[in-house]
Amino acid sequence: MLMTGEQYIESLRKLKTRVYMFGEEIENWVDHPIIRPSINCVAMTYDLAQDPQYADLMTAKSNLTGETVNRFAHLHQSTDDLRKKVKMQRLLGQKTASCFQRCVGMDAFNAVFSTTYETDKKYGTNYHENFKNFLIEVQKNDWIVDGAMTDPKGDRGLAPHAQKDADLFVHIVERREDGIVVSGAKAHQTGSINSHWHIIMPTQSMREEDKDFAVSFACPSDVEGMYMIYGRQSCDTRKLEEGAEIDLGNAKFGGQEALVVFDNVFIPNKYIFQAGEYDFAGMMVERFAGYHRQSYGGCKVGVGDVVIGAAALAAQYNGAQKASHVKDKLIEMTHLNETLYCCGIACSAEGYATQAGNYQIDLLLANVCKQNITRFPYEIVRLAEDIAGGLMVTMPSEKDFKSDLKVGRNGETIGEICNKFFAASPACTTEERMRVLRLLENLCLGAAAVGYRTESMHGAGSPQAQRIMISRQGNIEGKKELAKAIAGIK
Amino acid sequence: MKCGVRFCGGCNPRYDRGKALEKIKEQLTDVDFVHAAEGEAHDLLLVIGGCTNCCASYDQFETKLGILKMWDKTHIDQICDEIEKKN
Repeated sequence: MLMTGEQYIESLRKLKTRVYMFGEEIENWVDHPIIRPSINCVAMTYDLAQDPQYADLMTAKSNLTGETVNRFAHLHQSTDDLRKKVKMQRLLGQKTASCFQRCVGMDAFNAVFSTTYETDKKYGTNYHENFKNFLIEVQKNDWIVDGAMTDPKGDRGLAPHAQKDADLFVHIVERREDGIVVSGAKAHQTGSINSHWHIIMPTQSMREEDKDFAVSFACPSDVEGMYMIYGRQSCDTRKLEEGAEIDLGNAKFGGQEALVVFDNVFIPNKYIFQAGEYDFAGMMVERFAGYHRQSYGGCKVGVGDVVIGAAALAAQYNGAQKASHVKDKLIEMTHLNETLYCCGIACSAEGYATQAGNYQIDLLLANVCKQNITRFPYEIVRLAEDIAGGLMVTMPSEKDFKSDLKVGRNGETIGEICNKFFAASPACTTEERMRVLRLLENLCLGAAAVGYRTESMHGAGSPQAQRIMISRQGNIEGKKELAKAIAGIK
Repeated sequence: MKCGVRFCGGCNPRYDRGKALEKIKEQLTDVDFVHAAEGEAHDLLLVIGGCTNCCASYDQFETKLGILKMWDKTHIDQICDEIEKKN
């Protein structure tokens, strides 16, 4: 059953998820002004699925049940499904101008589905069936599942088993007849608080001595022993201010990250997808990372569409829209953004069927996609700031623009003074100009820059991780042979 | 005539697909336009794509008189003509 956004929000109220922020427990995190925009974002993944204008991207037919499900809970059945995933992500980026958080779950489903199949084939385990049963429940209930991979990792020079504190990587602390007990944490977890369930994966390839760290499982977000510490974002406390709706830039939507802690959490056997098969940790990581690097070729492009639109509006409101350099900068921004989209579509179109039957992206092209993502959004926001002008970071507050305090010789109020000096083209009101500049501030260096800039750099793996994969897949030896043949070298 | 409408998902549309349908409805007031649904019989199916790729899925829908596709706002008049011919 597909939920509406409102039903999703109500379903969160039933969870007993432990959330901490600013050193305190947050009881009603659903309505907390800092958290709620990120919940609204996830709610859009439900609402758009109900809209006939978007349903073709937002929904798919489940290969497990034959029912119509949200595409975020779908196992890709073709390269067409892979392309539609990217298109759906672009659409949601456009509609929220934020990280909408549901991709990590989808990418985890597809990676765990294919990896468990191959693990069972080698070891005779039952992980694939466990996972399929879990996913059927997810699809039936239209749950949000947070795909969690990144461990804190401690000393990067040491393997998991060699760390001074084993909790720096999620690991098995006890094996029981009926399940396992795990401890550790996952850092930077996008959408963790907004999720009904979590699916945990290892963070890197493992060796035999790390086998207790090769662990994958699912658990409800409010399972005993699990809690989350909310991550700060630039300008986050503006959300607590009254009369600052315009100052927020994007008052309705936002992203969310948290540290997710597992303090001796019991996981029943039926929710275990890996427990010591260290030689499959790398496969799960590589497949998840591949999907997630593809994802950025959609979501960041959608946010980029909003950045470009806001920059074009700022130019128009400044009266500078006819300047040739402004037009050229908008063209450059569009060129960069569509190049990212090309990468997302290309790695999808070149996808292939795994042994388990779901479709995997082309790994080389997905890594090229993400490598470009670590660069182009930075250039796009640089150009947006260039077009917008310095006012996007020096403008008085909304309260000033609306203040009745008389300060001028002739009794002019602060509001009148602000409106007088910040008026520009007659194409807009001063408030409209203020709104679009605040939106650019939000995207370029405010709360949404977490998603559009630093997440573009480090999310789904930092740039060097892609360069390693590009190096492995790039076939330099094959290219040497091509050159030799043309040059006549035997 | 009952005409099922299937939109593409609208990731990067080059025109307003919703407005295009409204314009078609204004010209063809005697046609019953509904959102295409599986298991329902449609006389005709209209697929409205946002770009030349026109990637909407439609094999799952039943239609008696066939499928018409558009992916540009300049197609509106032609689509209206073709629907009228079949009506």
